[in-house]
Amino acid sequence: MTLDPLNAFLHLEPQEGPGPTIGVKDVIDVAGMPTTAASRILRRIPERDADCIARLRAVGARIVGKQNTHEFAYGALTTSPHFGPARNPWNTDHVCGGSSGGSGAAVAAGLVDVSIGTDTAGSVRIPAAFCGVTGIKPTTGLVPTGGMFPTSWTFDTIGPLARTAEECVWALEVMAGRPIELREPGDLRVGVVESLFERADPRVAAVCEEALRGLPGRHEPVEIPLHDEITTILQLVLLPEATAAHLHWLRTRLADYGADVRARLLAGLFLPSTAHVTGLRARRFATAEYERALGSYDLLVAPAMPILPPRLDAIPDDYRLLLIPYNSPASLWGVPAASVPCGFVDGLPVGLSLVGRRGEDGTVLGVARAYQRATDWHERRPPLAFDASTREVVYNRQSLSKGV
Amino acid sequence: MPAESSSLDVLRQLAEEQGVSPSDEDLEAVQGFLTRILPALAELEERLPPETSP
Repeated sequence: MTLDPLNAFLHLEPQEGPGPTIGVKDVIDVAGMPTTAASRILRRIPERDADCIARLRAVGARIVGKQNTHEFAYGALTTSPHFGPARNPWNTDHVCGGSSGGSGAAVAAGLVDVSIGTDTAGSVRIPAAFCGVTGIKPTTGLVPTGGMFPTSWTFDTIGPLARTAEECVWALEVMAGRPIELREPGDLRVGVVESLFERADPRVAAVCEEALRGLPGRHEPVEIPLHDEITTILQLVLLPEATAAHLHWLRTRLADYGADVRARLLAGLFLPSTAHVTGLRARRFATAEYERALGSYDLLVAPAMPILPPRLDAIPDDYRLLLIPYNSPASLWGVPAASVPCGFVDGLPVGLSLVGRRGEDGTVLGVARAYQRATDWHERRPPLAFDASTREVVYNRQSLSKGV
Repeated sequence: MPAESSSLDVLRQLAEEQGVSPSDEDLEAVQGFLTRILPALAELEERLPPETSP
């Protein structure tokens, strides 16, 4: 049984009122709604909202449900073996990305105005790109993570997905508890990460190159320092932290994890004690190298994803390794990074990645807003889209939770 | 083959000492991952300037 045609929601609960509708990834607590992380293991009904959700509720947002995710937000597919895959509304035979996959699918299909996802190493940006919506991983620390089940305390961020950059600004300002000063794109210095264009599917790269021509500023080719090492550095920090967060259940519920998440969590158990410290040292070194080489650029631009969303029955063996070089740098550096819809290939969406300097979320979103004022990619609707009246039909199947 | 079995036995013992009981299949998946990341870790440790703090 699914609660909606895309299996985007794991729990639905309609809320009356005029405010915007919000769906929440199921690793973030919403008072009175179950938190499961799309797992067989976690099931709690929190009494308190996560900090960011309390702020949204305080301004009148309607929290309508909890959204499907890769199990424990520890993967990029949203194909939970326990709750089933969330599907891409542009073609339901294809993945919607992850780990905030239900969040991306729900926005694209019009089931909610805004989704609240998490991004540890790409989990907002991947589904945003694959579902053709706007999503931002904010500067690390901008949005409080209290009430979120952790993947990695060092890298976890909470960020919005919506159709437009303006809706993302609204949600981010509310969750951060302070204004985001949008920068009007004028005399920007834009670094074009050429290696990420070269590594991408040529059809995806061509769409992003066309989008690039529409971006203001002085464009210069750049390369990311220590790019090949960043994947290793991220894993050295992330794996032990995720394993530490799950240690009790690794001891008592190991067989209840899906095979892919179990393997990743066990890997963290066997790294030497030096790994995490080396990872933190290398992170500082790599960030200093980034600031030295690229710190004068207002924006770095690249394809958000190197591939189109694959079919659910034909996911490449190296899927994660393909994606990591596109997402990990911004996570490692702790800087804001957005995916903005910029075109289609074979009816599937393509996203453009905009990466800003630390604390300059307003530059990323200001440029995204300007781009969306000049284009209409963000206004396209997938075949499986719902208008307000159809949406009410989905919501009226109220107070339903998916069981395992 | 004997070396591989012995390596799995070492991993199993390490896991059990931490209170975790993985299957052979789990350990084979982990072994493949460790084969990739441990040399990368060693290389990184050598490249990092000694004065870099966490």
